[in-house]
Amino acid sequence: MRNISKLIMYMAVIGLITNSCSEGLDINDNPRNITQDQLEVDFQHVGSLYKPIFESIYQYAPAWSYQLQQNLNADVYSGYLTNPRPFIAGANNTTYNLVSGWNNFIWSVPYTNVMNNVDAIGKATETDFPTLYATSLILKVSAMHRVADVFGPIVYTNFGDLANAGVYDSQQAAYNAFFADLDIAVANLMANIDSPRFAAFDQSYGGNYTNWVKLANSLRLRLAIRISKADPAKAKLEGEKALAQSLGVMTANTDGFFVNSALDHPLATIDNSWGDIRMNASMESILVGYGDGRTGTYFENSVATGDIKGVRGGLPLLPGYSDELAQKADYINYSTIGPSLKTSTVQLMTTAEVYFLRAEAALRGWTGAGDAQANYEQGIMTSFDQHGASGAAAYIADNTSTPNDYVDTFNPANNITALSTVTIAWNGGDTNEVKLEKIITQKWIAMFPEGQEAWSEFRRTGYPKIFPVVSNQSGGTIDTAIQIRRIPFVDSELSTNAPGVAGAVSLLGGSDDGGTRLWWDTGGPNF
Amino acid sequence: MKHNLRTTLLFSFLFFAVQLFAQNKEIKGTVTSSEDGIPLPGVNVLVQGTTNGTQTNFDGDYVINASTGDVLVFSYLGLTTKSVTIGDASVINMQLAEDAEQLGEVLVTALGIKKTRKSLTYAAQDIKADEISRVKQTNPISSLSGKIAGVAISRSASGTGGSVKVTLRGNTSFGNNQPLYVVDGVPLLNGGSGQPGSTFGDIAGGNRDGGDALSLINPDDVESLTVLKGASASALYGSAGLNGVIVITTKRGRAGAFKADVSSNIIVEDAAYFLDFNGAAQNNIDDFLSSGVTNINSISLSGGTDKAQTYFSYSNTFGSGILPNNDFKQHTFNIRETAQFFDGVLTANASVMASTQKIKNRPVSGLYFNPLVGLYAFESDTDSFSNYRDFEELDPARNIQAQRWFRGTSDIEQNPYWIVNRNVSTDTNKKLLANLNLNFKVNEWLSLQTRGTYDQSLLNYDKEVHATTEATLAPSNGRYIVNEQDLTQLYGDLIANINYNIKDNINLTANVGVSTTKNTAEFFTADSGTNGNLQFANVFSFQNFEGNPQVSFNQTSLRNRTNSIFASATIGFNDNIFVDLTARNDWTSTLPDSNNSFFYPSVGVTGIISELTDLGDKVSYAKVRASYGEVGNGFATDAINPNRSILFGGGGINPQNPLQPFPGTIPRPERQRSFEIGTEWKFFDNRLGIDIGYYRTSTIDQYYNFPASASILGESSFGLNSGDIVNSGFEGIITGTPIRNDDFTWNSAINFAANKNEVRRIYDGQVVEGLIEPSFFVLSGKGVNTFGSYLVEGGSFGDIYAQVVRRDANGTPIVDGGALLQDDTDLVDGLTKVGNANPDFTLGWNNSFSYKNLTLDFLIDGKFGGETLSLTEAIVEGFSNNTARETANGTVNVVDLGGVGSTLTAQEYYGLAGGRNGFSGEYVYSATNVRLAEMALGYKFKLPENSFFTSVRASLVGSNLFFFYKDAPHDPNVALSTGNALQGVDVLGLPSTRSTGLNIKITF
Repeated sequence: MRNISKLIMYMAVIGLITNSCSEGLDINDNPRNITQDQLEVDFQHVGSLYKPIFESIYQYAPAWSYQLQQNLNADVYSGYLTNPRPFIAGANNTTYNLVSGWNNFIWSVPYTNVMNNVDAIGKATETDFPTLYATSLILKVSAMHRVADVFGPIVYTNFGDLANAGVYDSQQAAYNAFFADLDIAVANLMANIDSPRFAAFDQSYGGNYTNWVKLANSLRLRLAIRISKADPAKAKLEGEKALAQSLGVMTANTDGFFVNSALDHPLATIDNSWGDIRMNASMESILVGYGDGRTGTYFENSVATGDIKGVRGGLPLLPGYSDELAQKADYINYSTIGPSLKTSTVQLMTTAEVYFLRAEAALRGWTGAGDAQANYEQGIMTSFDQHGASGAAAYIADNTSTPNDYVDTFNPANNITALSTVTIAWNGGDTNEVKLEKIITQKWIAMFPEGQEAWSEFRRTGYPKIFPVVSNQSGGTIDTAIQIRRIPFVDSELSTNAPGVAGAVSLLGGSDDGGTRLWWDTGGPNF
Repeated sequence: MKHNLRTTLLFSFLFFAVQLFAQNKEIKGTVTSSEDGIPLPGVNVLVQGTTNGTQTNFDGDYVINASTGDVLVFSYLGLTTKSVTIGDASVINMQLAEDAEQLGEVLVTALGIKKTRKSLTYAAQDIKADEISRVKQTNPISSLSGKIAGVAISRSASGTGGSVKVTLRGNTSFGNNQPLYVVDGVPLLNGGSGQPGSTFGDIAGGNRDGGDALSLINPDDVESLTVLKGASASALYGSAGLNGVIVITTKRGRAGAFKADVSSNIIVEDAAYFLDFNGAAQNNIDDFLSSGVTNINSISLSGGTDKAQTYFSYSNTFGSGILPNNDFKQHTFNIRETAQFFDGVLTANASVMASTQKIKNRPVSGLYFNPLVGLYAFESDTDSFSNYRDFEELDPARNIQAQRWFRGTSDIEQNPYWIVNRNVSTDTNKKLLANLNLNFKVNEWLSLQTRGTYDQSLLNYDKEVHATTEATLAPSNGRYIVNEQDLTQLYGDLIANINYNIKDNINLTANVGVSTTKNTAEFFTADSGTNGNLQFANVFSFQNFEGNPQVSFNQTSLRNRTNSIFASATIGFNDNIFVDLTARNDWTSTLPDSNNSFFYPSVGVTGIISELTDLGDKVSYAKVRASYGEVGNGFATDAINPNRSILFGGGGINPQNPLQPFPGTIPRPERQRSFEIGTEWKFFDNRLGIDIGYYRTSTIDQYYNFPASASILGESSFGLNSGDIVNSGFEGIITGTPIRNDDFTWNSAINFAANKNEVRRIYDGQVVEGLIEPSFFVLSGKGVNTFGSYLVEGGSFGDIYAQVVRRDANGTPIVDGGALLQDDTDLVDGLTKVGNANPDFTLGWNNSFSYKNLTLDFLIDGKFGGETLSLTEAIVEGFSNNTARETANGTVNVVDLGGVGSTLTAQEYYGLAGGRNGFSGEYVYSATNVRLAEMALGYKFKLPENSFFTSVRASLVGSNLFFFYKDAPHDPNVALSTGNALQGVDVLGLPSTRSTGLNIKITF
């Protein structure tokens, strides 16, 4: 008996000791995730980081995040699109009741999905793989100039620097840094232009570095034109540098900067599935007024009116509707985005845009820009060609069509007469101002649906003439006629980086609201 | 450390193993009452210093194996405990006297260690089987509500089988605030499969309550629940005991007493506490909802000999909820064997508890997949709600049965009948808890105990979303979501129990032990996604998934281990002064080697004043107690150096860095320091008792996700040890027997608690390069909505922040540009503080009357102070004109920015204020409420002497019967989540129910 009890005790105690000590305290990871060692196979510790960058500059997924990152601000402010449902009983971004909870995404997505990965690529490649470093810099500039164009000052040069955590650059300093980064990128790529290093990770150009240099040059030209009023000397210097670079800027549609992904285009989800976005009245006024051959590609006919019909931007909860959904039930029937745009490809920069940039550069007398009219007309033809639209020649020659007056079939109180009488055909005798309106109006049409760049150029030049909001709920901070100039710094930033925001507001040179003009938006004459 | 543990274990084993010699013999006897000589059944007879014990049978007889020199201890609740040393005689009869002090009561404390109530140096309260099963709840913990001071119980809004949120002495932690549950001495694995966390709810199935382990335990198996509130009480649990401990003791067989209990309950529930809807809307709601019926049947058998005892139980629960197509089924089995071997030297105790639960359409809160959204928002002059009972019709274009609704569906709104029939979810949960406990009696003062537990929960969630569901939630061909969790805990310990009289008047009770706990968690989720899609409509299988990165398959495997060594000692002087010391050290795998060892001490002292000095006749008992303890909070697995996840279908790596410690900091577990004092008094022959305590706990070094600017390192939060949250408060219990005579007794107990929570610091000034001091911590972020909960220095846990309407000096709302403006003063994350979810003061009044065979019990539960926000009302008013005040033709005066007044109709005003992201500050109410929480009327049938039955009882029971006072449009005692998120806010939670039922219990 006692032997048995001893045996049981032995077994119990030994079992317990074995149990407690054989497997020690070294278990703390989730083996289903990928370790740094595992990532280094096939250089994925660098390569895998590009995918999130490509897919977050203009965020693919989740679609609602893109909706807040850009769709419910720049895509509406640009006059391209608008929401048929007056979110928050009409008190939202589109009526200048700026929703910080939404706008947080404009700020956070590029930092948490782009800058973190660019920084990690930089650490791994700056000395050992200079061409990969170069592509990361081009992508970084492509992502971050958009953020600066929304807020003004941003954290750019101090990102990842714990000693200067959260310290903003002025918009001018950020632009200078963009140009400097593009300098490094072009130099690194030119030194090894035939390297296939990037092919496995490139979602735009299949690893062709010549295209990347053209993109860098085109991006430099875009940024140079943007600062042409704020810092004309630097603008001319950088613009001419872009035009003079040996590989040049984008000239063929295949040079355009498009991101390819297996994910759905977020606009397809927002427009198709959710019915949360529709054509903007400004877009209807111009496209239909011009009888534009791209109209049928860009938009579908309204199921309510049978023709192309946009929704006025900045609608409040209108009288006669019990709630948001009732109002949406009407406007959801206006024109949806055309099917050809609902591919998995996101358009970030078109070759047509570059021709229009060169046209404006020519107006400004920059060396290497070429002829303004030739570039203008080439821009239109390139855009028609990109969308497979016909009738470009007649369109270019049209000197009578002007934007249409807008009619709202549900609520005639929203009717508004066209704001511009500018036509399409180039007239060498026009003033530079009229020429610029034509260039920017056509560039605006050609860049659709990339609302971010369209809104920036609207603010810089005042073109095209976009309808003002119906309801202005800014509490007096935004002038209805001048329209919104920027988005205020977001709540998440105010609460986690108060000293940084205080510095940024002083760099902004105005109050932190939607009415303050950015550095490149001087408010002065275009010429 | 491994080496040390092994050495300790081996040494202790060798030391004890030599002492295997003892003379055993059989002792018999009868225990009677000294007052009237009547035999006493159910008296505990224990060999002192061991767990070798038995109970007297119906005739007061007992048999026990013991050795000469052993001390037999006879105890019975309400009677004085007596002990006798075994000499040559083999028959020991004993008379027990009624105990004037009623202090023989034994409580089960940490690690299953039993202590006399009088020796406790901290507050502990327990509740017995009768009270748990009187008004039966499917989750036994729900029964604690209003019965224990300082315990806040919030029922879940997810209906039958839902989780329960328990908070002991206030919220202390940014992380977990739930107490540790201990079943028969062993920590219970209480991981649920998720808790609601946001206003919208998870787009993969809505804001769902994954349930908790407690809901899988048969309430009839519970013998008692003991609540150990302070750190000193729970210090022996180390890093798991931060939030207090609830000790559950389950039933076991008793020697000699063969007994069968059969009980059957039927409970009818009706939705009772609604928002003030207008008549038309309320008719629709009444049309949609129905009475819920829950039927709980249980049988238990127990009995045994003096060598082996058995307890077996089976229960089943079948229920239907108040929502259509919501069913609940549960079966529980429990078998427990206790046996004495080798003349009582070795006692083995083995139990297996198994349960299965299946819930169809467990109600969700929040906005996604919630049928209440469409139900509450339906409004039409030309159409009737009942017309949409036919929720689908043929869409000839697709040749598919498509959803029909009176208007286009939107992200949150669908036909409610469609949701309950075509967005069906099924929760299938299984739990297995196997326990082996060996107790080896070395000698009269020493015993050695080892326990092992295997605890597994399998939680499966399956949701089949049919094609033509709203596009925000599912693509064209529908959506299939599966979520599986396999959670396993292995626990083993070895404890030496010492009970030794150092001198005649000095007694030492001590425990020294080691334990190890290993947790493994396997998670699997598969979701064809909102964009990923299925190949063929309405076929719900993995092989029907499209292959693209918008489809998700995800596996997570987590393991952790905690090794511990612990010791406790209670030294009693003259049996009236007790000093209590505990110490524990944990080594955890979840922290880096350099920093993985943590020490938790506690000290306490208590003195029985009434025995130390003469307090006169009126005072029958008086005691003071004080204790101090330090405990920690466990640390999550894979939090130190996490790697990125991979996205299915070519999605690459996760774009974002995982949450990690702030660069340059080394994480450590948070710590809580707790101090408490208390005193207990009894007067007038124990007919009046008062127990009052004060406590103060300070929780420091919390490891929380502090929000950081994404512009620093591209991450919007990091882990950081910081902060100081202080809870202090009073709690007390007054018990009395105002009337006691032969036929009629009235027992009454009042318990009350007041807790003050203060967020002293959220950041403690540590200098870390790159760290910018945050001004608040987020408990529930506002996201794209307009309310949240934040911890701000000087504020309190549970503060509610909302978007508040800007008003002029007269308090008149300002309207500009056709919209209300926001009050933008003193903003935190863009919101204004409007209240706090926690009550200032709670009161429970429990009464029990008995008159002959009739008993009446009722419980009044009051919560005073605190606020609650009805986002339900905001949404209803933003989406429809269905509230009574919107259709009552009222008006609201407003002014414009220039001060010019005008009048809006109530419909217009609340249309502007409402909505899920509107002016939530307009929807804040006082959470103060007083309710008749429980009532039970029982009758014990008179049985003939030779009846087959021992007892037959029937009772009519009711719970949540009515509110004496309530301001809020919903029941503020219902929580959407048992986590920290969404406290004090109702986002379309299932309406609280009133339940009534019949309970029959037969013993034979």
